[in-house]
Amino acid sequence: MSKDLRFLVVDDFSTMRRIIKNLLHDLGYQNVTEADDGNTALPVLQAGGIDFLITDWNMPGMPGLELLKAVRSDPKLAKMPVLMLTAEAKREQIVEAAQAGVNGYVIKPFTAVTLKEKLDKILEARAAAK
Amino acid sequence: MTAEELKARYGNLVLNLSAAIEAGDEASFTTHLNAMMQNRDDGLWSQLRKLTTDLGSALERFQLDSRLVDLAEKEVPDAKHRLDHVLKMTDEAAHKTMDLVEQSGPLAGRISSDAEQLSAMWQQFRTRQISPEDFRDLLDKMEVFLNDVRSTSEQLRANLAEVLMTQGYQDLSGQIIRGVIKLVDEVETTLGQLVHLATGETTKDSGNDKFRESRGYGPAVPGVDHGKVVNGQQDIDALLSGLGI
Repeated sequence: MSKDLRFLVVDDFSTMRRIIKNLLHDLGYQNVTEADDGNTALPVLQAGGIDFLITDWNMPGMPGLELLKAVRSDPKLAKMPVLMLTAEAKREQIVEAAQAGVNGYVIKPFTAVTLKEKLDKILEARAAAK
Repeated sequence: MTAEELKARYGNLVLNLSAAIEAGDEASFTTHLNAMMQNRDDGLWSQLRKLTTDLGSALERFQLDSRLVDLAEKEVPDAKHRLDHVLKMTDEAAHKTMDLVEQSGPLAGRISSDAEQLSAMWQQFRTRQISPEDFRDLLDKMEVFLNDVRSTSEQLRANLAEVLMTQGYQDLSGQIIRGVIKLVDEVETTLGQLVHLATGETTKDSGNDKFRESRGYGPAVPGVDHGKVVNGQQDIDALLSGLGI
């Protein structure tokens, strides 16, 4: 798996962004950009250069689900792999995220192993689809 | 209407009316009769307006009362459970962090003291003051030390990674506290609306359920009902796999 992937980590809590960034570094991914909600993330994504989006759901400004929908409705970003990493635990929300086109869903609190598994699964599926 | 009010409202009109009859002045009679009817209609309308306003206020008060009852009976106790959960989460995270620090300290201490011991022997070797037996001992100890450093460093690294993961409590507890702040804000607004209603001022709209839905609900808290909540990552994996993801 290429370690040159560029990640965008979106979470309103800076502690969580640091945790995810550190875990990605441990997995060998050094290129990680951060944003604190959908409104700040979208311009970064639209500017190009991001290969993978990891986003929280519950954020002030634009929440993660709306960001996901915005990504899927933008022709340039529509195929971006999106992993939702959130504490939102209602079944209907997970179904809603799936219907909006999420590629993976990790519930907080999570483990480093779970994050790695989900990342690998998404990346393997993408590699197989190419 | 009291006798005085009746007299004040209709007294002059009746006098004018009877004066017009006495004088046989039909135009004046009609004018005063119209004035009297107008006066009566105005009274009816103002009564009706008052009734409508009272009914509106009563309905509004009823809605506010229902919201207050809901807040007092369900959401405030829920908020207490949420804060209890935050307390438990922060307590567990603090203890887990301290456990890992306490576990790591002696590991680092052991490496340091072993290195110190080896360093003294190494110094003897460098100054050629070491016997062949001590030299063999140095080599054995060096080998053990290098293996130990490798495994202990791995353990320290794992402990540090665990400390890092444990800090996730800040996000989860922060989301819960933010939810409780919103609730306090709503209680304040609802009470403010009641005060406004009592003083006859206009009220503000407080309904933001839709807003809340799109934002999400925050972490599920044990003992606080959120509807159908998944039970951990395995549940989510099963759910998503059913949806072909």
